[in-house]
Amino acid sequence: MITPLLASELTKRVVVTLDGEAVAQVKDTVFDFGAGRITGFTLSGRGLLAGPLKVSLPLSGVHAIGPSAVMIPGTAVLTERKAVLSAHQAEHGQVLGAPVLTDQGTETGTVLDIVIEAGASGRVIGFEIALKETTDQGKRRAFIPRGEALAVSGRAMVIPAQAHHFIADDLPSFGAQVEAFRRYTAPPTHLTPTTDEEAPS
Amino acid sequence: MRLLSQTRGLPVITTEEAEQLGRVEDLTIDPRTRSVVCVRLSGAPKHAATIAWELIEGVGQDAVVVRSVASAGVGPHEFPAHHEILGKRVLTEHGTAHGTVKDIAFDTATGRVHTLYTALGDISGDHLLGVGEYAVVVRGA
Repeated sequence: MITPLLASELTKRVVVTLDGEAVAQVKDTVFDFGAGRITGFTLSGRGLLAGPLKVSLPLSGVHAIGPSAVMIPGTAVLTERKAVLSAHQAEHGQVLGAPVLTDQGTETGTVLDIVIEAGASGRVIGFEIALKETTDQGKRRAFIPRGEALAVSGRAMVIPAQAHHFIADDLPSFGAQVEAFRRYTAPPTHLTPTTDEEAPS
Repeated sequence: MRLLSQTRGLPVITTEEAEQLGRVEDLTIDPRTRSVVCVRLSGAPKHAATIAWELIEGVGQDAVVVRSVASAGVGPHEFPAHHEILGKRVLTEHGTAHGTVKDIAFDTATGRVHTLYTALGDISGDHLLGVGEYAVVVRGA
């Protein structure tokens, strides 16, 4: 099952080793929107007066991103900041507020937040958007899944029109909507699982 | 099987001299072996404030028994860093909070941690991954 997490809530989340030591907290989440996933995290020390750390956490070093902590196997996975930052393409801030267009040219709303999948994948699974008044009566914000191909620039974001049918009102129900959307967009096969991850290895 | 909370505060008595070395302050648990590695004493001199689990003869309702005064402070190995475990937050390896440790049941013969009790349910001692300053980490959902 997919557990969705809001990217904005990752900020200040504690980074804990599997030994149970808190080693840092998340300062910023770095995205690679082209690949549709997180590249890693920049870190700051824990506590009120702690500043940014020289080391960062690449996605490859993440054991799991969870609702209460980002788990890592140990401090050995922390690397130079450059390793995380050089790979990044689009800044978090440039995407927030960007208009969301469907591939049929309808503006759905604007991006409020980015939704990622809990676990080790760091995958961007959708967006929290402020809906345009005309699209739905009374509703202000909603969650919309992203397509497999996601076009993002600083100016706009384009999602498949079908994604519209898989809007969720709240985060807990969004996980199920993303799964439904994936089944819907996956090529119709009867014998094989719908995604690579589900396939037995 | 005994509870950690019931073991804390028990007097530690030697069988040879019938002397009291101190009281059990806490037990140190090594997450790698998922077992108690040593007993920490309060009211004992600093150099004799830890007793290796192998030297414990018995853990009973009213006392913890060791062979002799010489047991305290000597051990075949360095003990891992001690972290208080009761009341500590529990995290799964997936980064999900699982309440705090209310108590621990351990086998008095082997020292193996049998169960961690939390407000959100019991966790088998086999699932223990780490005991740190910040949290107790467990395997699983």
